[in-house]
Amino acid sequence: MDQVIKLKKKRKLNRADWRTWLIFLPGILFVLLFTIYPILKMFVMSFFDWNIGFQATSPFMGLQNYVDVLTDPIAIRAIINTFVYAIVTVPLQMIIGLAVALLINGIKRLNLFFRLGYYLPVITSWVVVALLFRYIFANSGLMNYFLVDVLGVVEEPVNWLGSRWSALASAMLLGVWKGIGWNMIIFLAALQAVPKNLYEAADIDGASRRQKFFYITLPSIKGTVTFALVMLSIGAFNTYTPIAILTGGNPMHQTEVVLTWMYFQTFEALNMGYSAALSMIVTGLIMLVTVFLFGVTRGKKVA
Amino acid sequence: MKRKSIILALLLFLVVAMVGCNNDDEKVTIEFWHNYSASDGQVTVLETLIDEFEEVNPNIEVKHVFMEWGALKSSVVLGADTGVLPDVLRGDIAFVPQFQSLNVLLAMSDFEDYVTQANKVLDSANSSNLMGNKYYGLAANTNTKILFYNEDLLEAASVDVPDTLDELWTAVSSLKSESVIGMVEPWTGIWNVGPYIWSEGGEVLSPDNSTAEGYINSQTVVDVIQSLADLYQAEELAGPSMDPGATGDTDGWASSLYAFELDGPWRATSNEAAGINYGAIPLPEGSEGSISVLGGENFMQFKNSSVEKQEAAWKFVKFMTEEHAQVEMAKVGQMPVNLAALENAEAIEAMPLLPVFQEALLTAKARPVIPEWSQVEDIIATKVAEAITGTKTVQAALDEAAEAIDDLLG
Repeated sequence: MDQVIKLKKKRKLNRADWRTWLIFLPGILFVLLFTIYPILKMFVMSFFDWNIGFQATSPFMGLQNYVDVLTDPIAIRAIINTFVYAIVTVPLQMIIGLAVALLINGIKRLNLFFRLGYYLPVITSWVVVALLFRYIFANSGLMNYFLVDVLGVVEEPVNWLGSRWSALASAMLLGVWKGIGWNMIIFLAALQAVPKNLYEAADIDGASRRQKFFYITLPSIKGTVTFALVMLSIGAFNTYTPIAILTGGNPMHQTEVVLTWMYFQTFEALNMGYSAALSMIVTGLIMLVTVFLFGVTRGKKVA
Repeated sequence: MKRKSIILALLLFLVVAMVGCNNDDEKVTIEFWHNYSASDGQVTVLETLIDEFEEVNPNIEVKHVFMEWGALKSSVVLGADTGVLPDVLRGDIAFVPQFQSLNVLLAMSDFEDYVTQANKVLDSANSSNLMGNKYYGLAANTNTKILFYNEDLLEAASVDVPDTLDELWTAVSSLKSESVIGMVEPWTGIWNVGPYIWSEGGEVLSPDNSTAEGYINSQTVVDVIQSLADLYQAEELAGPSMDPGATGDTDGWASSLYAFELDGPWRATSNEAAGINYGAIPLPEGSEGSISVLGGENFMQFKNSSVEKQEAAWKFVKFMTEEHAQVEMAKVGQMPVNLAALENAEAIEAMPLLPVFQEALLTAKARPVIPEWSQVEDIIATKVAEAITGTKTVQAALDEAAEAIDDLLG
């Protein structure tokens, strides 16, 4: 059976003539020009002391840029911070997003209201909410007011944005809060596509709600989970605005993430080669993570 | 038939479009990038000035584009690669060496009447355009930092306005209370700590800008940073860059939280908007006098624009640095560089602090004019912050700064 399908597909591809390619052409050109070419160019740049400007010469540096990045304590710290941000925010927003989706999927009334409410943070500007969070987590901000004056759980105001991990925690909270809505919508769509008769059959067999979730719901939306996991991981590695606005990488570059540090090296210090090398390293890391995630999720399917 | 009529219509359209273009052919359009602040009404004044300029020069059209400070810089960096650059730009004096290192700036001193125009503006302000033996810009506005103080807070604590830096540190300490922090320093770069260092006789780099060893980590600089560290650790000095959760300087002034800040002319504007009773004096003297830091903006032109546009842009730059335009800009908070405008009664009336700034400008010092300056200042800002917050001892932090800077400059 499989063989027959494969053969059919092959014949179809062979029959693809110039008209098919013509339809593909704009898309291919677009990808070549704006994705493939910049990646290749950046790869080349990462081996040079790249100077921009008229008639600028760029001496070949070999692997020096990579050595510079990997021996730069701020770059290492930025990469670690980015990893922590990804490891914390991605699972959290998926779990909460899925939970919210399940709850909304289960109710008949006010469905639209809740969907809108949870989706609102997603469509709000990053800059605006990051500024709001900066005021909330300021030394004399709303969070400390609640903790000290209202709840009285701490004596002294907490210096949220003043040290590395608490500032990152604030940024991660912002990231999770803003990401829940996106996950909810994605999972809600997946949940609605799960065939109802599966649940009916499970009901007849007397399956508990938990069993239904783990043996029907979760396996049915596996593809969506993988998709969300990969997209969110890539997104987390590209986080910029929350950090740029909450702390700007301060104090003393403690809260720098990859993109904020890359921005500084590119536009402030004009170290194009260094930034290119940093980008390539991060690209490599993201690819590794993606392959790993695909491997993990696929492995589960077999089991 | 149908096809023919479509082609005919297209041809007609093309002809009309081309005729339309031909009519404008004599007009030169120049693009002007700037960061005049819109909230202070500077953009409105700019638009009026452009109208006046276009009236006198009917064959020139000025298209102005506002950008934030950071966007202005990164757009030129990108433009150096793509060729998308303006014909003229008004930006931070610190941009000149970096843009020049990108090889995009026009040597404006090659204009025949450059010297005539340059003679009309403050020498100290225009010196920030000199690299090698050519000028790559013309001063647009100048500024320096003077010491602002909240009169009500000083009076309430019966603290006198300080005469020396040592008195300033004592005053800052004695102002500290439940609701008041003596002083605020928004960043720890040379723009911020430079004036204290210079006034006590310290230096950042050697005179030929080749090394920091023995300068940024000298005993004088260590002592100055130590005084700031003592204040910071006693919570008498606030630093939003060292503690991003601290109240920003503008918010802090408006809520009478901060009593002192060494700052530029914009502090007067924001204090007036907030209704704060404030005063200002030049920076109190250290052992070597009162030496503040030179700021401001320059006009720069770009060498990839056509000769026609270069000439038109130069005309515009001259117009903007004449007394009239400078006085108009002074009314919305831009400190003039034009010598006549500095004496102009209208300008002084609009900027009551002008005499104080002028006094400070006499001794103000420019930051080193080198292409690597952004990185040098970032190293200093980071290491000084480590010293002030007490992460490291002052000497250790500044030794590391000297080493990192020498690595960079070497």
